[in-house]
Amino acid sequence: MMRTSFWSELVRIGAVVSVALGIGFLITCFVSEEPVAAFRELLTGPFPKISFADGFQVKGMNRFGDWIAESITLVLLGLAIAIVFRARQFSLGADGQLLLGALAAGIVSLFVDASIWIHIPLALVAAMIAGFLWGLIPGLLKAYIGVDEIVSTLMLNVIALQLYQLLLTQWLRDPTAGFVGTENFPVTAVLPVIVPKTRITIALFLALLAVVAIWFLLTRTPLGYEIRIVGANLRFAEYGGINTKWVIAVSMALSGALAGLTGAYLAMGLLKKLTLNLSPGIGFEGIVVALLARNRPFGVLIAGLFYGYLRTGAQIMERSSDVTREVVMVIQAVIILLITAERLFPLFQEWRKRRSDALIVTDLAGGEGA
Amino acid sequence: MSLIEMRNITKVYPNGVAANQTVDFSIDRGEIHALVGENGAGKSTLMKILYGLEQPTSGEIYLDEKAVQIDSPHHAIDLGIGMVHQNFMLVPSFTIAQNVVLGREPRSGMSRFVDTQEAIRITESLAANYSLDVDATATVESAPVGMRQRVEILKTLYRGADLLILDEPTAVLTPQETDDLFDAVRRLVDQGKTVIFITHKLIEVKEISQRVTVMRHGKVMGRVRTADVSEEDIARMMVGRDVFLQIDKPPQQRGPALAQIQNLGYVSETGQPMLRNVTLDVYAGEVLGIAGVEGNGQTELAEVLSGLKQATTGNILVEGQSIVAADARGVRRAGVGHIPEDRLTNGVALEADIADNLVVDRYYRPPFTNGGRLSPRRIRTEATALIAEFDIRAAGDDSPLGSLSGGNMQKVIVARELSADPKLLIAAQPTRGVDIGASEFVRGQLVQQRNEGKAVLLISADLAEVMSLSDRIAVMYKGEIVAIFSNSREGGNPALTEQELGLYMLGLKRQETLP
Repeated sequence: MMRTSFWSELVRIGAVVSVALGIGFLITCFVSEEPVAAFRELLTGPFPKISFADGFQVKGMNRFGDWIAESITLVLLGLAIAIVFRARQFSLGADGQLLLGALAAGIVSLFVDASIWIHIPLALVAAMIAGFLWGLIPGLLKAYIGVDEIVSTLMLNVIALQLYQLLLTQWLRDPTAGFVGTENFPVTAVLPVIVPKTRITIALFLALLAVVAIWFLLTRTPLGYEIRIVGANLRFAEYGGINTKWVIAVSMALSGALAGLTGAYLAMGLLKKLTLNLSPGIGFEGIVVALLARNRPFGVLIAGLFYGYLRTGAQIMERSSDVTREVVMVIQAVIILLITAERLFPLFQEWRKRRSDALIVTDLAGGEGA
Repeated sequence: MSLIEMRNITKVYPNGVAANQTVDFSIDRGEIHALVGENGAGKSTLMKILYGLEQPTSGEIYLDEKAVQIDSPHHAIDLGIGMVHQNFMLVPSFTIAQNVVLGREPRSGMSRFVDTQEAIRITESLAANYSLDVDATATVESAPVGMRQRVEILKTLYRGADLLILDEPTAVLTPQETDDLFDAVRRLVDQGKTVIFITHKLIEVKEISQRVTVMRHGKVMGRVRTADVSEEDIARMMVGRDVFLQIDKPPQQRGPALAQIQNLGYVSETGQPMLRNVTLDVYAGEVLGIAGVEGNGQTELAEVLSGLKQATTGNILVEGQSIVAADARGVRRAGVGHIPEDRLTNGVALEADIADNLVVDRYYRPPFTNGGRLSPRRIRTEATALIAEFDIRAAGDDSPLGSLSGGNMQKVIVARELSADPKLLIAAQPTRGVDIGASEFVRGQLVQQRNEGKAVLLISADLAEVMSLSDRIAVMYKGEIVAIFSNSREGGNPALTEQELGLYMLGLKRQETLP
């Protein structure tokens, strides 16, 4: 039964992706002199080109690296959101948690002097603790005094951003640099590259480890059971004796820890320093990934790779064709919209059923025009 | 001459379920016809087809021997067919008159505004014509349940219904209200109306109907004159085997007071006192039934006892140990099981699989969790065993709970609560909406608990159930215990009838001192 639903789902997603790409191509046709070439960049750009013209050569490994580097970010953020979604909570706080994670990682990177074996883990743990605590705040507020988590996480994002920028401009910035940012992290605090000439770092293993860890947490620990049951039916969880308030708070805190880890990855793996605008709005992309993956950890891995591919392809298209950035973003948004709409389809059916039930009520009432 | 004749009706849903298979159904003008069957037997599908809510896959419908296509409820109403649904479809904040005329309001002159006075006049004259007593100017939310039902009936009459389909109309009524309803139905028939009466309760079939059609598994098992058959005959047709309507209870072996409820009070979040000074002992080896019109504190009593709500005052002791301050897990650890009233809200998680539903009270203990690690394999082993032991009909332990029928969902709950081996079992509405087969099973399990020397607190709106299972019956009215009766057969209490209990349930009588 699992198998058939898996395959039929794959076919459905395939169909939706094709339709979405078709619409994307249509838009490209309107704006580009060479729509086919431009769209090919989107579709194949992130793949390395193998050429035999001049002996065996692999070109464009940096593009491939960009794809993987982007996907690592998206997978970690997707996992962060998947956890809260599993507990049927909502969180828009990944952005703020990510910034504070980066901040914590940056402080440890700049002010601790240790060998690489200690320095990197220490910075990563610091980032996760910062994210955990920043996620715990809205969690506790929601669980114990019923503060809406959408509002609280958004507000905490603002606080985190201002705190980050304050510390960066007042204390951490490198006064000799021409822009607001820290000096480069020492090599002991930079994630080592594992594929030469790319930005693929050991964070790849970190992301894979996180996928397995979250899968293990959800399916092989009592806390995971509690998160799943709280998400399936809160009242049932209470009735069964689960401490639902604590589970809600912890699920949001764990989400924060993963977002914090993402922040550390951006700082220590990609930028190698802290800058004023770390990566605006990236926190929200985790929601897209979690939605695509139906909150399943291994699904997040696949969805993260897919979405990362799309984003990288879009950047390449923007750089190497006459399609402008805005149009590229529209195409990307259309594709994601269609795919998430497919995710929303069951909800839509439910809505239609409710609506037809409502119509029955109206029917019973008679209706003048009948 | 038959008023309605449905011939060879087959309904296959897109998911392949054949809800009706070559069903023949006919009603004579002016009769009260009972339609009975277990949940899922296809009776509501058949009635939805008659009311135009569903289209048959094949088959014909004849009205006065003319073939008709009923393609919508509007059309059904035009043809004189009206339906009173089990869940009332009324606007609570509107007056009864407004509800009766809703959608076909009388308009005053040129202004085309709703003529409120005319609406009241229409309602009152309809009510007088059919002796359906309602207060036309009161809002629906302030009206008692029995009156709301009369409003529903008036609504269909106002739309010109000659045939009324009543879908389980007595499910929410007290014995007195049920008697009133039956009187009203008989008067409707006297005035030339025809009534289809859908029900679960066989005693009502005998009392009200002239003929009965029995359905099972989407087919008609028989159509008989009610006078010619016994309740047992009808039950056998419904279930396909002999059913023991009377629970076989061995004489009671009553032990010491296992649970003591002392001066329990509970004030709701809105400041309403829902429980007042409730004092009850539940003895080992007894079923203590709580009777009462719904909304008189029974729900709150179950929730406070099971730790879902915190008592405002008073104490609860289980084997001498106070559990009044404990949370749900603490109460369970003290040996209290709870079959919750609202199955879908509290008792199960529809999206989670059956196995996860079966271990919600024990997943954190060995053998399910060892050294902080949860074992899905052990959970499945437990689930497989419980599914077999309690005869839960499911595709597998990993299918979502929402795929089960109501009766099987209830079996999942009963399996979980009984396998925890509770000393005190709180069973709230344990057979509501559950088919006869599963109801019989659940009732048997409750009696089994009692026979094993456990205590059972049974809260049920079904008086027949309370009277057939309980060793003692307490009556709740406005959050208080107003009477406690012995109900043991050998103790003998012939005076205790449903009518007598009804007087206490409605607050018309109360015992001065509780025994």
